[in-house]
Amino acid sequence: MIQVNNVTKKFGDFTALDGLDMHVERGAIYGLVGPNGAGKSTIIRHLCGVYKQDAGDILIEGQPVFENELLKQKMAIIPDDIFFFLQANTKDMMKFYKNMYPKFDEKLFFKIAECFPEINMKKMVRSLSKGMQKQVAFMLAIASRPEVMILDEPVDGLDPVMRRQVWSLIMSDVAETGVTVLVSSHNLRELEDVCDHVGIMNHGKLLIERSLDELQTSITKIQIAFEGEMPEMPEEIQVLKKISNGRVHTLIVKGEPRAAEQRIAALNPLLMDVLPLTLEEIFIYELGGEDYAVKDIIF
Amino acid sequence: MQSKTSFFNKGLYKKNISRTWIAGLLYFIILLLLMPVSYIISIADWDNTYFSDVGITKGMCLFMHMSDMPTAGLAVCIAIVLSAITFWYLFYKRDTYMMHAFPISRKSAYFTGIASILTVAIIPVVAVSIIMSIIALTVDTIAMGGIWYWALIVIVSTVLFLSIAMFALMVSGQLITGIAFYFIFVMLYFLMELAFRITSAMLLFGMGASLQSQNVRIFSPLQYIPGNCKVDYIACYTGNGYLKSLIMKLEGAEYLAIYFVAALILLTVSFLLYKYKKLETVHDFIAVPFMKPVFTIGMAFFISMVAGAFVSGMYDATGNHTYSSKFAVAIVSSLIIGVLIFFATQMMIEKTIRVFNAKKAIYCAGYSVVALAVLLCLRFDAFKVENKVPNASDVAWVGIEANYTMVFTSEDEINTAISLHKNFLTDKKELRDVNVKYEHVNGSYFTIKYKLKNGDSIIRQYQVVDTESPDVSPEYVAATQPILDFLNNPTIIKEHVIGNIWDDCSVTDMYFSTVTYDDNRNEFNYYTEYFMSLSEYEKMKKFEKVYQALLKDIDEGKVFQTTFAGYTSEREDQSLYNDFGFNVVNEEVPYFSDVDTYYDEQYDPRNTYEGEGDMHEQSIYCSLNTECKHTLKALKDAEFYYTDDQVITWEKYNKMMGYEYEEDPETYE
Repeated sequence: MIQVNNVTKKFGDFTALDGLDMHVERGAIYGLVGPNGAGKSTIIRHLCGVYKQDAGDILIEGQPVFENELLKQKMAIIPDDIFFFLQANTKDMMKFYKNMYPKFDEKLFFKIAECFPEINMKKMVRSLSKGMQKQVAFMLAIASRPEVMILDEPVDGLDPVMRRQVWSLIMSDVAETGVTVLVSSHNLRELEDVCDHVGIMNHGKLLIERSLDELQTSITKIQIAFEGEMPEMPEEIQVLKKISNGRVHTLIVKGEPRAAEQRIAALNPLLMDVLPLTLEEIFIYELGGEDYAVKDIIF
Repeated sequence: MQSKTSFFNKGLYKKNISRTWIAGLLYFIILLLLMPVSYIISIADWDNTYFSDVGITKGMCLFMHMSDMPTAGLAVCIAIVLSAITFWYLFYKRDTYMMHAFPISRKSAYFTGIASILTVAIIPVVAVSIIMSIIALTVDTIAMGGIWYWALIVIVSTVLFLSIAMFALMVSGQLITGIAFYFIFVMLYFLMELAFRITSAMLLFGMGASLQSQNVRIFSPLQYIPGNCKVDYIACYTGNGYLKSLIMKLEGAEYLAIYFVAALILLTVSFLLYKYKKLETVHDFIAVPFMKPVFTIGMAFFISMVAGAFVSGMYDATGNHTYSSKFAVAIVSSLIIGVLIFFATQMMIEKTIRVFNAKKAIYCAGYSVVALAVLLCLRFDAFKVENKVPNASDVAWVGIEANYTMVFTSEDEINTAISLHKNFLTDKKELRDVNVKYEHVNGSYFTIKYKLKNGDSIIRQYQVVDTESPDVSPEYVAATQPILDFLNNPTIIKEHVIGNIWDDCSVTDMYFSTVTYDDNRNEFNYYTEYFMSLSEYEKMKKFEKVYQALLKDIDEGKVFQTTFAGYTSEREDQSLYNDFGFNVVNEEVPYFSDVDTYYDEQYDPRNTYEGEGDMHEQSIYCSLNTECKHTLKALKDAEFYYTDDQVITWEKYNKMMGYEYEEDPETYE
């Protein structure tokens, strides 16, 4: 659905995207994570057709997105900093979207509006709170009946209840229409709940791109205790991190978890627990040893 | 395959209109007040108006009203206001990112924007023109052409200024800078010429009056359109002020066509700038890469050139300095200021003060070398500015202003004036440093003005010193004396100081004020004899005798003499304090006024009165001196005065009045 092939973008001497490759399948909810300055917003602006890449291809449904009106009619964008026309109220914005997007569903718009009763449709959107503006943006985006939704920090600024409501709206839209969603966020816990694929970016490159399941099964946390000293781990087990607390040792192990469990079991530990890692932990353990600014993405 | 896009987006068009209609409404109200409302007010009490009194009809009045309506001045404002509101989103990151994420191509956004701007800018003009047309239908349809030609001028001007506004807004990533660029681009040619003229006025030989001869060119539309594309008329009135005829004119259609084509080209260029604009340049001082060096070099060169000239001017104010030393100061200060501005513009463009690096230093050095070369070209007159003397075939007339203002229109006189000017310029070394070489010699200025047949003017002004001073070199005298000889030729004096009717005129009036000192009252008694008891014939006989005596004094080189000495106290013992003047009249031959011609003040081109175009009478003031023996004798014989003590020199007057510093007789000439 979305193909980013070897894309490079420079701003003066600074390389924002450095041969970036990214692939999002149709119907996927793709979480794009990375520290500040990783290039997330830059690639999103390319995907929206705002920036033009210096090199490489950006294709959506096999078509270049830049200056492609018809393709953009199938896309809905919610940027981190939302734009509404000066003096425009929610209804004015709805009329504008209706003119822009041929598939705009006015009935759906008013149906979604019922979920956000506190929004005064006749009030200037720019005078609403940031959270309410986000809600209006979601109403407009979903009612546009897009095939691709690109969301940059979509629930930033919303309260927990509203976050849940917005995510459920997106999920139901995905379930109903099969819309492909690319979402960029710092909030890894939230992405873990909604995404099925994850891409981790830094320094303008995609470091990891996998399905969440695959990612979560590729790294395991094993807690073990031995009677005496902990024996040497077999060479086949790739230990990313080892933390000892008395007799109890916690190992972050990369690779197939079942195989690692069998090999460690052969060492006759007194106690052994195999635990799944959160996306946040995977991020830290996978990249923590590298020279990445991982702290930025942990809330 | 990439989709095809349209030029027009209805949704965006409606949105643009919804954001700009208020400006259009205000524009309409202003036009309404300026045009129909003010016209209706002016004709409300028609029978008591000036127009009615002089026989102007309401229809004619409407046409005249249209000729006074602003055109380019309105367009230049509305174009930038609407462009800035419509393309506001280009200058704010959030707005530009979102607008370009919508399913609208740049082509569609640009042309839809242009369409909405033109709609809002043109509808008020057309609406007001329709209202004026309805008024014209009710009074007289003769103004209909004027109404719609005015509308055409405003519409073309709007398209032109819109194209300049679009170019300016595409060049910058900052709204305020874009608007500033707009006004700079509108005035660019005028400002560049002004910069050169200010510099040359301060530095170049003979260019002291260059600011007076700046001509408005087609490249300065804000000034050129009102002067050359207009609804105009010539009203001819009878001698007693009644309208005789009204010629209505619609001028400058060819220039409007040129401006329209230029606007289309500029709109296309602006579209290409937008099409290839990198949106990450939002907030950049200059968003188009090729404009960065143009802006840097343009700013550095023009500002430093003018600033260098001002520094040189300040240096000159500290004392008498040679031309070369003034130019050296100008060059050094220009280069220093140029380097400062070069880096200052770099800081603005790159939004950082860290612009000092080897690459920039090399660019700056390159710029400085080119700037130095241009300044040296100015110094050595490589552009032939100082030496410029037009071809006689291009000249309508030549004016020379020294003690008197004379204008030469005949081919022989023009050729003579040109050859004198060329001769004067052959030895610039000798002439340009007179303030230093002849510091203690009395001096003044003289000006040569060429009025060319194409309407342009070339003015040169030179500092000169007294050629009769023993201190001046033979070379200096050789360069300047021929001009004085020409100006002091009795025929030239009679023809150009008294006027073309000097030998075929009646002297209808004459006065000579006498001054005597009353010892009892300790003050001067002033008296002028008006010969009230004499008939007009008797008076004119007296005047004629004095006039003939004056002509003799002119022939002998005693009066109306031009010198380059300026005012000198040595002349006080000769110059008379007594006022003397007379009127010359010829009812058959029109009087040619040298002074009015020189200052382009012959007549009001719009309103002419019967007989007004032909002037037949002129008052002449004459500064007499003690050498004017024939005139003084004739005045005495004619009983303008009776005793010699009634004739008083400035020296005597000042002594008697106890003035330490003398009044300047030149001020009365």
